[in-house]
Amino acid sequence: MIPERPMFWKINDVWLFYTIAFLAICIFAVGVGIHISVWRKSTSKNKTSFSWQAVKQSIFEIVFGIRLFKGDIQAGIAHFLTFWGFIILLIGTTLLAIDGHVYPFLTGKKYLFFGLSMEIGGMLLLAGIIWSLVRRYIQRAPRLERRLEDGVVVLWFLVVVCSGFFLEAVILSAQRPPWTEWAFFGPLIAGFIPQATALSIYPGLWWGHALLCLAFIAAIPYTKLFHLVGAPAAYYLHHSPVEASEEPEEAIASGVQWEIAETAFLDACTRCGRCVQACPSAGAGEPLSPRDFVQTARHLLWQEHSPAGDIRFLLNVDGIEGDKAAWFCTTCGACMEVCPVYGAPFRAVGKKRAMLIEEGKGVPDVLNQTLERLFNYDNPWVSSKRDRTVWAKGLDVPVIKAGGKNDGSSPRQVLSRGPLCYFVGCTTSFDARAQAIAVSFSKLLKLAGMDFAILGDKEPCCGDIARVVGELGLFQEKMEGCSELFEKLSVSDIVTSSPHCFHTFLNEYPGSMFRVRHYSAVLKDLVAGGKLEPKKALDFTVTYHDPCYLGRHNRIFDDPRQVIRSIPGIKLVEMAHHGPDSLCCGGGGGRMWQGQEIRGEARMSEIRIREAHRTGARVLVTACPLCLIMLEDALKTVGFENELKVMDLNELLLQSVSDGQ
Amino acid sequence: MKEPQIIVCAKQIPDPEAPFSDVTVNVEKKQVSVDAPDVISPYDENALEAAIRIKEELGGKITVLSMGRKVSDTVLRKTIAAGADSLVLLEDPLFEGLDSFSTAHVLSCAIKKIGDWDLVLTGRQAGDWDSGQVGLILGEMLDVACVSLARSIKIDDGKLLVEKTVPVGYEVVEAALPALVTVSNEVGELRYVARSKMLGLLRRPMTIPKWNSKDLGCDVERLRKLQLTELAPPADMGRECTLIEGSAEEQAERLAAVLAELR
Ligand code: SF4
Ligand code: SF4
Repeated sequence: MIPERPMFWKINDVWLFYTIAFLAICIFAVGVGIHISVWRKSTSKNKTSFSWQAVKQSIFEIVFGIRLFKGDIQAGIAHFLTFWGFIILLIGTTLLAIDGHVYPFLTGKKYLFFGLSMEIGGMLLLAGIIWSLVRRYIQRAPRLERRLEDGVVVLWFLVVVCSGFFLEAVILSAQRPPWTEWAFFGPLIAGFIPQATALSIYPGLWWGHALLCLAFIAAIPYTKLFHLVGAPAAYYLHHSPVEASEEPEEAIASGVQWEIAETAFLDACTRCGRCVQACPSAGAGEPLSPRDFVQTARHLLWQEHSPAGDIRFLLNVDGIEGDKAAWFCTTCGACMEVCPVYGAPFRAVGKKRAMLIEEGKGVPDVLNQTLERLFNYDNPWVSSKRDRTVWAKGLDVPVIKAGGKNDGSSPRQVLSRGPLCYFVGCTTSFDARAQAIAVSFSKLLKLAGMDFAILGDKEPCCGDIARVVGELGLFQEKMEGCSELFEKLSVSDIVTSSPHCFHTFLNEYPGSMFRVRHYSAVLKDLVAGGKLEPKKALDFTVTYHDPCYLGRHNRIFDDPRQVIRSIPGIKLVEMAHHGPDSLCCGGGGGRMWQGQEIRGEARMSEIRIREAHRTGARVLVTACPLCLIMLEDALKTVGFENELKVMDLNELLLQSVSDGQ
Repeated sequence: MKEPQIIVCAKQIPDPEAPFSDVTVNVEKKQVSVDAPDVISPYDENALEAAIRIKEELGGKITVLSMGRKVSDTVLRKTIAAGADSLVLLEDPLFEGLDSFSTAHVLSCAIKKIGDWDLVLTGRQAGDWDSGQVGLILGEMLDVACVSLARSIKIDDGKLLVEKTVPVGYEVVEAALPALVTVSNEVGELRYVARSKMLGLLRRPMTIPKWNSKDLGCDVERLRKLQLTELAPPADMGRECTLIEGSAEEQAERLAAVLAELR
């Protein structure tokens, strides 16, 4: 007897099975279709062109579950097991259908191997599901929610797998074939089932399992299972180049235009809560949950663009996130770093902010005043442009004159002849503590013999604050103002004090012609090129705080560390959160300019200072004026002033280079 | 009840929040010049916010009145962007530098000319001279009930309910309409007006009525200028910062000592 599997063994009404299967696939297809139509309707004219590279990259990440291991190995393994179990069973079932309808090939050894693989697939799936259930309901991992959908979907999965195994056992018991030695789970249970019982319960069980499976497929687009389709789509869209919308004005006017990759991500979100776990604001006990923002944004998009409303029938997200929560996000990007489907929950927060700004209501008072000031005085501090260069008094820092030496035609990469334009930035110009950055950086540039100049009291605001709080119209004006000035003065090579200005110029000024660097890159080059020589040994231990807009947003982790390491005698130790996992100081996203209305249980900056203190370092080095102010303040409120010092990278380097001047 | 017709008086002034370095005091000419954009007096913005909230609840119409020698509609159009329905500018060379009584006279003429109104709201005082008189004099001239220093205003069943700030808390005052209320900052900031909204409004053609002393039929003889007897900058604007060291208790003790000494 040759091992093989008869199709529909002892099953009548096969047509009924096909009808239901067809229906299930239709329901699935309609669901996916609605998703795609919602994505298309909610995005502006963004086009994506096909990219093989993106396909390859996505497949690689999906197959190995790369994003899922990030920061949570346990969850990564559980998902890996579930994923591969599911894939093996899916491939197996497809092969079976081919064997039955197209070309019979599953016979003999091949069939035995097939049976074994299916059994392994089932085991993997079972292990993955049970582990997930344990994590969610027994270990109760804090980031996981326990909504109706979470339970129903996983239990459904569990019942499908268990009924599959049981069905196999019943078949083995009923057929009693001689080839059971390649299977292990089925024969084990089969031993307990008398042949007569098996024969009588078999048809009912078969139908039950079949219906559960088909319903499972049909339910994919209507539950969190949609990530089976959504996640690959989000991966692909993340990796493929997006052509920018042609009508920026229009997009700005509404402020709430989505890109297709973003909407796909909203639907792919599985509410895994990794973002909540990583979020410094949520960690400080503030009422912000990035996951809720994503879900609410998704829900609103569906209400607006789907004729049937939100089709996620097991999930009720109405009113889970209030307007006020939007103002807590620091746009630090920690959520984006850990999101398995490449989501950026802070972008959903950004859209919400843009809507609130447009509406005008519920904008916190201090922010309201700050934006007015930014408009009237071109800086978010209550300061006059006359005071922009107060820090430079006595330093003899040159100011760029109109019509400089640059020809202005050089694209970003090419260095022109003119002086390096040092864009000091509002906070560094006006804040008493942050001014030390400008002072020490210009001293270093002078020591290095650099040809550089500042914009003096003409220096405008880059508009970063307006952008991050959702005042896109004001940002547009600031951008135009800055670009015009740069053009007029033929500025083509810029260095900034603040990672925020740096990020804005680099990534948010489309089509700009100048090159921009953060000072840490300039310092690194000057040290590497021997123009600055750290001579004096600084015999102490330091730790380095990665500013979000330098590190996470622009992947500059190493330049500042190289500068620190170049100083003789110094020892650099890392905090628990560093590099891409750095913890935000709490000053970004416009939080610096918000009052008491926006406060949580703890201050993010204090949490960070405590972490720095635990390293035993004597100096906490950072490279951003906002971080400097936030951390310095926290140092005082926490009371570590005698044990720890907060310094800007320039101050530290200057100590070693200038030999204590 | 019919929908309330509200008039808000808004004064255009140099930004009282302007940075110190942008302010110059000319003692001879008795002039303070501020090198900063003009704004709507902050308390008047509070009054507008109160009006908009009433309108959101009950409907009705908000008219903003602003008086001066030359008033900038780019500054005042913000009131429309925020939610007012119409704007009337009272412009006349004669309206420059009027004292509180004369200002109230001009405003009362304009309000009488508008005719149909239930409630007039003004800021508790203007952010430039801080006299806090125009509102109440205007109420007197209009011969209506007048409540000052409102922290909340409601119209309920045709009656006015005002929470009026007093030194130890607030009083709830009831009044019949029509009435005049001067509004305090506790009401809340004027809602934010997005730049895109403002730009859209500035681009839109709009006829803003401008009335001069003749249109208003006001008694020109009664208009008097504000007389300054003396103007002097504050003696010492220097700031000094001392950090008080020690434990929380020691710091509190030393701070108390410093404050006691400064008294
Ligand atoms: S946004 Fe990303 S990280 Fe957050 S819950 Fe959704 S899938 Fe998870
Ligand atoms: S950007 Fe940072 S603060 Fe904002 S939601 Fe994400 S993790 Fe939280």
